[in-house]
Amino acid sequence: MNHFLIGFAISSLFRRGAKSFFTIFIFTSLIFLLSSILFISNSIKEELFITLKSLPQITVQKLQAGRHTNIEISKIDKLLKLNGVQSAIPRIWGYYYFEKAGVNFSIVGIDSFDKQYKKSFEAIVKDVDFDELYKNNSMIVGEGVDKVLRENYYQGVFNFIKPDGELKKIKIASTFKSATALESNDIILMPKDLVLEIFGMNKNEVTDIVLEIANPEEIPTIAKKIKNLFPDSKVITNSDLRVSYQNIFDYKSGMFLALFIISAFTFFMIVYDKASGLSSEEKREIGILKALGWKIDDVLKAKFYEAFVVSFISFLVGVMLALFFVYTLQAPLLKDIFIGYSRLKPVFDLPFAFDFQTLFLLFFLTIPIYIAAIIIPSWRVASMNADEVMR
Amino acid sequence: MIECKNITKVFNQNKRNEQTALKNINLEIKSGELVVLKGASGSGKSTLLSLIAALSKPTIGEMVVDDKRVSKMPDNFTAMFRRQNIGFIFQKYNLISTLSSYENIILPTIPSNPDEIELDKRVDELLKMFDITSKKESHIKNLSGGEQQRVAIARALINNPKIIIADEPTANLDEKLSLEFIDIIKELKQQKRTIIIATHDPLFFNLDFVDRVIEMKDGQILCS
Ligand SMILES: Nc1ncnc2c1ncn2[C@@H]1O[C@H](COP(=O)(O)OP(=O)(O)O)[C@@H](O)[C@H]1O
Ligand SMILES: [Mg+2]
Repeated sequence: MNHFLIGFAISSLFRRGAKSFFTIFIFTSLIFLLSSILFISNSIKEELFITLKSLPQITVQKLQAGRHTNIEISKIDKLLKLNGVQSAIPRIWGYYYFEKAGVNFSIVGIDSFDKQYKKSFEAIVKDVDFDELYKNNSMIVGEGVDKVLRENYYQGVFNFIKPDGELKKIKIASTFKSATALESNDIILMPKDLVLEIFGMNKNEVTDIVLEIANPEEIPTIAKKIKNLFPDSKVITNSDLRVSYQNIFDYKSGMFLALFIISAFTFFMIVYDKASGLSSEEKREIGILKALGWKIDDVLKAKFYEAFVVSFISFLVGVMLALFFVYTLQAPLLKDIFIGYSRLKPVFDLPFAFDFQTLFLLFFLTIPIYIAAIIIPSWRVASMNADEVMR
Repeated sequence: MIECKNITKVFNQNKRNEQTALKNINLEIKSGELVVLKGASGSGKSTLLSLIAALSKPTIGEMVVDDKRVSKMPDNFTAMFRRQNIGFIFQKYNLISTLSSYENIILPTIPSNPDEIELDKRVDELLKMFDITSKKESHIKNLSGGEQQRVAIARALINNPKIIIADEPTANLDEKLSLEFIDIIKELKQQKRTIIIATHDPLFFNLDFVDRVIEMKDGQILCS
């Protein structure tokens, strides 16, 4: 290690203060943007993974004239008799279109005695007395729902319109924050009987039935058996759902990729343009150093140290800022663009999904390219005749 | 010490602006000799100096310095050769104006990763010798012309070279500073260094410690 050479390189950065600052600024912004995109993308992948794990293994619906309709609750007994079926949970839920805001809410009926078909609901439902909610005509809503309601001047209460045209006034008992939220938190939880009322459903009907299967290998076989047992049913397995979730994710990550490429390209154009144009002053300096007996590789070593310091500092600062921006500030703006493609923006935390591999990739895609962009033009100047400085 | 054998230097060869700067030069300079190259502007003095310092290569002929055929050396070896043997005082000084005197003076030593204590001792010696100790940390752009030249001389001497080359050293100095420069040259001559000075300043033509005055015209040596 020649610390004189390193010292010379660093003092050169200080001497060209404005240019160095500009380069570090651009480079840091680039790294910040690229790593933010990567972090968000990783987080969404993680989110998808959690969501996929909690998907029901089999969902049984009823078809009437080819359209989804409510299913008789009595079918549960027959389903439970099938070999391999561990449990069958009736679900009462449906979309409710809120015209004023142009959004769909998902209303989910809860019976505190039933096993919840979703783990995330269990935590929310645990301390809630649904009998009490029923008596008070109350519901629990996701934060996103609460926000939309308040934006439309509903304070703590909402008027649902029943199929018979009558209004049903339901109070907001509390709000919750959804942890897994690819499926967004447009969710409203309320006692089953209130849901039946709002959707005008019979007491002996449910929206669908979800099954738990002891051995996941058997899912396709059991799905076939159900189809034979109830020819009017539609049987959806978790792998069917996985495909549609994957499609949503692929679409989003495609947008990420596009943004990633565009920003990478733009910023590299700027950095390259800034880096490759050696000023006449810099050219003269290289000439002087050569005339004083510096070899080409002495000159290039100094340039390498300069470029390395610039790009490494920028990389560190950019990644730190991105970590802070994505995981502490929860990526304002960027998160909106990529997560809320429905008008109801889900309010949820980006789970911390730090992936060293992507960081390495980013490191090796940016730093060597930048160093090359610095070294190559300097090398061209340094290989010229040293007597240029005589003129 | 220095041998120019049949040297011809053509710039922009085979182009419309082809220029023959040196024609068939034969010259020998002995170790410890002080030679003054005189001649009008454009006579080829600077070109000859840059060939001796291996800053460029002759088109025809051979340059031998200290028994090394520098005109045949690849680039990396000429750099090393310059660093170890040549102290060049350029006409325009070629200092880096945003660096301090100290930083400029140590430039030729950096590639060989010097010992810091020894280097500082050597720099202080030179600063004292040229009476610029107080300017050690000053940026070049804040120095006067004479001070800048003395920094350039100190830089040329930092590696203790056997050969010292100066191109038009008094061109930018007034008479008082020119005389001071001549004193410095006298001192270097006493240290038995080989010195070559290209100049058209008459001050150099009648000095008793100058061994030879060689006159150049149109790329050729007139008399020696
Ligand atoms: N790098 C170069 N390219 C083209 N022509 C040059 C170059 N260097 C010197 N010359 C030409 O060579 C001739 C000699 O120049 P030079 O050695 O600088 O003369 P002097 O130092 O005696 O004034 C001049 O005509 C000059 O224009
Ligand atoms: Mg000249």
